[in-house]
Amino acid sequence: MLLLDYQNVLIESLLKDRFAPGATPTSIDQVVSDFDNVTFHISTPESKTKILVSLAIKCYPELAKYGAEEVLQREYGSLIVQPENGYDFSVQVDLEQLPSSDEEKTELIRKISLLKRNAMAAPFEQAFDEFASLQEQARQYTSESAPQGVREGGTVRAIHYREEEAIYIKASHDRVTVIFSTIFREETDRVYGKVFLQEFVDARKRGVQNAPQVLARDDPPLELQGIPGLKGGKGAEGGVTYVTFVLFPRHLTPQRRAEVISHIQTFRDYFHYHIKASKAYIHSRMRRRTADFLQVLRRARPEAEEKERKTASGRTFTVKS
Amino acid sequence: MSQSLRPYLSCVRSTLTAALSLSNFASQAAERHNVPEIEAASSPELLLNPLTVSRNAEERVLVEPSVNSVRVSIRIKQADEIEHILVHKFTRFLTQRAEAFFILRRKAVPGYDISFLITNLHTEEMLKHKLVDFIIEFMEEVDKEISEMKLFLNARARFVAESFLTPFD
Amino acid sequence: MAPQTPAVVMDNGTGYTKLGFAGNDSPSFVFPTAIATKGPSAGSGGSGSGRPATAQKPSFLTGGAGPGGHLSGKRGTEDLDFFIGDEALGAAAGPGYGLHYPIRHGQVENWDQMERFWSNSIFKYLRVEPEDHYFLLTEPPLNPPENREATAEIMFESFNVAGMYIAVQAVLALAASWTSSKVQDRSLTGTVIDSGEGVTHVIPVAEGYVIGSSIKSVPIAGRDITYFVQSLLRDRGEPDSSLKTAERIKEEFCYVSPDIVKEFARFDREADDRFKHYEVQQPGGRSVTVDVGYERFLAPEIFFNPEIYSSDFLTPLPTIVDTVIQTSPIDVRRGLYKNIVLSGGSTLYKDFGRRLQRDIRHLVDARLRASEARAGNSAKSGGLDVQVITHKRQRHGPWFGGSLLGQTPEFRSYCHTKAEYDEIGPSIVRRFALLGGPGST
Repeated sequence: MLLLDYQNVLIESLLKDRFAPGATPTSIDQVVSDFDNVTFHISTPESKTKILVSLAIKCYPELAKYGAEEVLQREYGSLIVQPENGYDFSVQVDLEQLPSSDEEKTELIRKISLLKRNAMAAPFEQAFDEFASLQEQARQYTSESAPQGVREGGTVRAIHYREEEAIYIKASHDRVTVIFSTIFREETDRVYGKVFLQEFVDARKRGVQNAPQVLARDDPPLELQGIPGLKGGKGAEGGVTYVTFVLFPRHLTPQRRAEVISHIQTFRDYFHYHIKASKAYIHSRMRRRTADFLQVLRRARPEAEEKERKTASGRTFTVKS
Repeated sequence: MSQSLRPYLSCVRSTLTAALSLSNFASQAAERHNVPEIEAASSPELLLNPLTVSRNAEERVLVEPSVNSVRVSIRIKQADEIEHILVHKFTRFLTQRAEAFFILRRKAVPGYDISFLITNLHTEEMLKHKLVDFIIEFMEEVDKEISEMKLFLNARARFVAESFLTPFD
Repeated sequence: MAPQTPAVVMDNGTGYTKLGFAGNDSPSFVFPTAIATKGPSAGSGGSGSGRPATAQKPSFLTGGAGPGGHLSGKRGTEDLDFFIGDEALGAAAGPGYGLHYPIRHGQVENWDQMERFWSNSIFKYLRVEPEDHYFLLTEPPLNPPENREATAEIMFESFNVAGMYIAVQAVLALAASWTSSKVQDRSLTGTVIDSGEGVTHVIPVAEGYVIGSSIKSVPIAGRDITYFVQSLLRDRGEPDSSLKTAERIKEEFCYVSPDIVKEFARFDREADDRFKHYEVQQPGGRSVTVDVGYERFLAPEIFFNPEIYSSDFLTPLPTIVDTVIQTSPIDVRRGLYKNIVLSGGSTLYKDFGRRLQRDIRHLVDARLRASEARAGNSAKSGGLDVQVITHKRQRHGPWFGGSLLGQTPEFRSYCHTKAEYDEIGPSIVRRFALLGGPGST
């Protein structure tokens, strides 16, 4: 596996199972996790044919501030129900009122399994919209005469999606900057992470010219000036790294937008996944090398001489071929 | 094999071969005990002069002989942070499996990355020159393995980065 | 880390892996413990040395580093090119991939494959950041401590899991039986009959500790029942006698009868009621009807009368259970008879528990009577309580037990944390405080 999926596999497979023709509705009650401290509750509280999918996300108040409710309203519309107690957002599917065609069913499954992605997409969409309007305004000025607001860009949208990590999004008239702050709890991870990030930074110079520009540093980047609660900086311990993605207008076209949002959301987990996968590979190398060393060492042991074994009466064993 | 590696290894080889003349020696302190004197270090007359073979500031081997045991400690080359982590991981992985390695010491001597403890029991059970072969081969292979792992890590990082950025294209 | 993240419960069995989160009543994922990697299959022997499928030389240097391209086109990334579970079966059916089963006889054989299997389980299926979650893993009885250490090494060093607990499957199966109404006291003493696809184990557990010397295994399990059904179908010349059909019939129609002779008579008397039909959709759209007859009760009968199926294993299951308990320490035998817990898919047949309980009780009563007679009827026995517990969570018993214990508030205090591991090293997992033992829950 190289890239992480955008959708939640459990929800996807569960719904596929239930939507299949001839499937008997049964009761479900599962609390499952997803990346980034997201919790789903899939249940059938009223009747077996009504599947309720609820989402709890740590930074929901922040997301709501950045327009998550509108995005979810747009995506799910009539499926939305009153959020379940303890959760932030709920949708309900009635198995008796499914769309008839298979394509529509697949589309519905896809939509629901992307619940987390859609909730997290709101600040990105807002920033992208802001970029579009700033770009429009900037066209009217030359770079010098532009008013302060246009030159500086919009406000920074912060999503504290994990305990110690956050995403910051800032739109300007010619770009959208997405900054991930990430943390390494272990020395090994930090060192591996550094190697990986260096390659992210360099990737643009080599093959992938059209990719967003990536910057990595240990102290808060200039874009985040004046944001409270930032860690890191010169001499600070804690292993915070700020990874900046600069999305250029070519990434922000309406056609590309959905894909870019899905993809960039997975960055943090993708990054950590690959650090772990590399460790796993290095483990397997070490296992192989250890086996080799053992073999060399075993050569030092002289071959045990085959002693002739005799029975009490003096007869010997013979090997039958 | 690079120019300076060959003399380094052959020096370690001859030092080890010389040091591995061990004999059975009962403990002077406790009756019916037989302990590796280099570890116990109970009486100075049983210990021989320790010897360090250095290739450069980073790489060296410490050979500590005694009447019935030899301790060999190796400091593996680590040019940067990444190699340091990899060496640490690898030696830890090996010592974790010390049971199978007979002569591997579970803890490295301070200042070194990995230590071996060869006692007279080992030299009696196993062929002495093959044991030396093992240590030499170990030293060669470890360097190679560490640099291969580092290369792998860089290659993987590049691949991962490009794979992530390509969909933006 | 957030304190409310649910613990991850992973039960890796020889045949199937059960994955899920503590607190749920069923695993989120159940799929074969199989991994498909590039290159040919390791063959039936399964090479234990576990060489990774990489070139000796750093081939990634020569591999193209250009953008794009499919994984398989890149060298040096072979270790990412694999599938697990049902996808592995699918991939292995096509060209280029070989199928491997990293666990044999309940124990991990190939750590490289297992590590990758776990990696994919966590990141693709469960979708969790292991640093945020505690993990509850299972192990078979008599798992060597080295295996535990290797597991811990992978879990803590590769995945940085927040904390980990390794529990014995049989003990978890006992915990799972607490949901049954028949269980009054939540004790961890009992006999577990764990019958899966490959093998059936009878495991006595006293106060949460497995009595290793008394464990017995029976080479009859789910797969044998399927084969037996298949052979019966073939003997009768049914139009479809594929393994899949046999398996479906086994799962849908089979039950345990109190007495075979009477059951035969009943079949003859109430033919309409007893004989069933099973429709098979054959590839190509044809559908044929298979008659289902005596195999309905004969198939599970091989547990109780193995001679009808096998010629080299002839001891019935009730006798095995009785022997196991008789070889256990005398002071726990009463508890072992009183709490015989079923676990695993092959114990799900209707009336399986009832028949087992009756047969074991017969054996015990016969022995008691015999000893009373030897004592010249001077000493009367107070009788011995034999009880077989059937419960709703039998199928994924160990997993459910893990889910039950993993959601208790004190679970985390029983785990070893990453910090403790870093301090002490892998040997830390040789010991775990007994979860769910006396004084807790």
